[in-house]
Amino acid sequence: MRISAKDMAAGLFLILVALAGLYINGGFFGIGLEEHSLGSARRMGPGYMPMLVFWLLMLLGLLVVAFGFVSGPDPLQKWTGIEIGSFVAAIVVGLAVWYISPAFGSYFEQTYNGVGLGALVGFLVLCFAAGWQMIGFVLAAMCIFALLLEQGGLMFAIIGTVVISTVADPDHRARPLGVIGVTVFLLGLCWWIFIRELDIRVAVWPWSY
Amino acid sequence: MEMMIANLAHGFGVALSFHNLMFALLGALIGTAIGVLPGIGPVATISLLLPLTFGVEPTTAIIMLAGIYYGSQYGGSTTAILLNLPGEVSAVVTTLEGYKMARNGRAGAALAIAALGSFFAGSVATILVAASGPLLTSVALSFGPADYFSLMLLGLIISAVLAQGSVIKAVGMVALGVGLGLIGTDVQTGQQRFTFGIPELSDGLSFAAIAMGMFGIAEIVLNLEKPEARNVLKTKIGQLWLTREEWSRAIPSVLRGTAVGSVLGILPGGGAALSSFGSYMMERRLSRGRNEFGTGAIEGVAGPESANNAASQTSFIPLLTLGIPSNAVMALMVGALIIQGIQPGPRMVEAQPDLFWGLIASMWIGNLMLLVINLPMIGMWVKLLQVPYRFLYPSILIFCCVGVYSINNNVFDVYITILFAVFGYMCSKLKMEPAPLLIGFVLGPMMEEHLRRAMLLSRGDPMVFLERPISATLLGIAAVALLAMALPNLRKGKETALAG
Repeated sequence: MRISAKDMAAGLFLILVALAGLYINGGFFGIGLEEHSLGSARRMGPGYMPMLVFWLLMLLGLLVVAFGFVSGPDPLQKWTGIEIGSFVAAIVVGLAVWYISPAFGSYFEQTYNGVGLGALVGFLVLCFAAGWQMIGFVLAAMCIFALLLEQGGLMFAIIGTVVISTVADPDHRARPLGVIGVTVFLLGLCWWIFIRELDIRVAVWPWSY
Repeated sequence: MEMMIANLAHGFGVALSFHNLMFALLGALIGTAIGVLPGIGPVATISLLLPLTFGVEPTTAIIMLAGIYYGSQYGGSTTAILLNLPGEVSAVVTTLEGYKMARNGRAGAALAIAALGSFFAGSVATILVAASGPLLTSVALSFGPADYFSLMLLGLIISAVLAQGSVIKAVGMVALGVGLGLIGTDVQTGQQRFTFGIPELSDGLSFAAIAMGMFGIAEIVLNLEKPEARNVLKTKIGQLWLTREEWSRAIPSVLRGTAVGSVLGILPGGGAALSSFGSYMMERRLSRGRNEFGTGAIEGVAGPESANNAASQTSFIPLLTLGIPSNAVMALMVGALIIQGIQPGPRMVEAQPDLFWGLIASMWIGNLMLLVINLPMIGMWVKLLQVPYRFLYPSILIFCCVGVYSINNNVFDVYITILFAVFGYMCSKLKMEPAPLLIGFVLGPMMEEHLRRAMLLSRGDPMVFLERPISATLLGIAAVALLAMALPNLRKGKETALAG
């Protein structure tokens, strides 16, 4: 038996999604929330196609797991202790921050700002482990963008995003002048393309609208 | 025949307008740039620029996006030959012989035949696209909903079969993509499906957010994780022309490559990468210089480069005539068309003659522009390579963010992109291919509509898919393709081809 751990994990993921989908949708032997009516084959209700698709997905997931017993060996990348720790901590802290975010100000009750703050803190916690730093800083940078854009304007959002994303690259950390350079360049480029040429509807500065 | 000439004339009229010429040039330039730069490809770029095409007319938008796609095939070969670094997947085989040629001092010849072969292939492919349009649409108009469903299913199956890695996992990704496409409002009943009460989801997940998250951002993170050393260019380029002997060897390869590329490009799941590999394998078996493979045989550059360019253009055929995307890039084009309010399908040729014929004419003009951009201006592109990746990726990131936001003026889409970036990262670690998911996402809703209609017409009888001859044939081909991949010989063959 040559187990391919990657295949088995992939198949397991597909099965889980299928189960979740069937649970919500219905068509799973009556178990679940059954939110969408199935209808019949002739007059399909909204739940019919999802049922077909998720059953197919479950079948495929099972096949992937089955073939995973012989298509290896392909082990999963090992996570170091600190990587596991920061992964769990990131999820816990992120959810906690989301939950308590209204306490930081009414700003975080609006739209998805609470989610954004939780995500931002979560990704930054993830960066405690060196292995997670690449994805952590890049996605934290995107969270900053989402948080700053509407109230802070495009320019500050770009500054925040670029600065945080550059931390992910060790070359940048060694030469901070490059960071300033690329930030200024992007500010100019984005202004020219998005504001002047394409005229997209976004606040440029916090006082714009 | 006269009709085609008249239509082409009309197309050139559209394509030669100043606006469309500018955008064709822009697309060609951007395409060459991203082809040259490793770490960013046409899928990520087109998904990045998709939101920005809203402000322009559909014809102009597609002209530019198409230019990016076939432009990237030209650009990818430059770094493959000069630096042994393929800018695009389809340029991987070019590194094998092209870089060897450069080491032998024949870099100029390699670059020249890559560009010229691509131009020839592009021209031929353009004629094929023009001829196929009216031909295929008349066939497609006799399709009923059951036939459409089977055709789309065939397209999904073949794209999974030809994807890298495990076929079963790829089919699983297709199913996952279809499932994601179900999120939103059900068109026929108006009921919200899987939206969990989130109002932003009532129109479904943003297509561009998924594409950018899985292809753009995930790619950035993966590139940061494995930094690649880039050799500074030391090889001299030399004269950009071929000796007579090289010409006589290269020309048959160009012709064969064009044929291979034109055919494989149409195939769903085909596209430029598969065509270049297919042509390489063919040249290794058939060409006059086959014993020189491994030391710098010009056939190994001429064939694949022509093939990948032909394929990048003929892959528009299923899109324009039947509305079926044959690869991830075409799936993005479908997205672009739908966003512009155009329904891709057989009626598009009649309903949007400007788009169809204008695009075809513009493809040829674009190929001509690319010939100029790639040969004389090659020094400029090599300079571009010396920009360190640490300056590129923040730029890509910013463009992703602003682009995604500008679709609906909603930061929710940015969060969706983040979510799919995480998902895309996970998929690459588990070796799950993202492209089949995107194709499934695009085709899923259409398939559901056809399935419903087919079932309604047949009064709930599922045998209708086998009773109608067209549908039965298509399903049969799909079954054969799936079973064929189960045969170990074919699977090994595919793996060797894809491993280069």
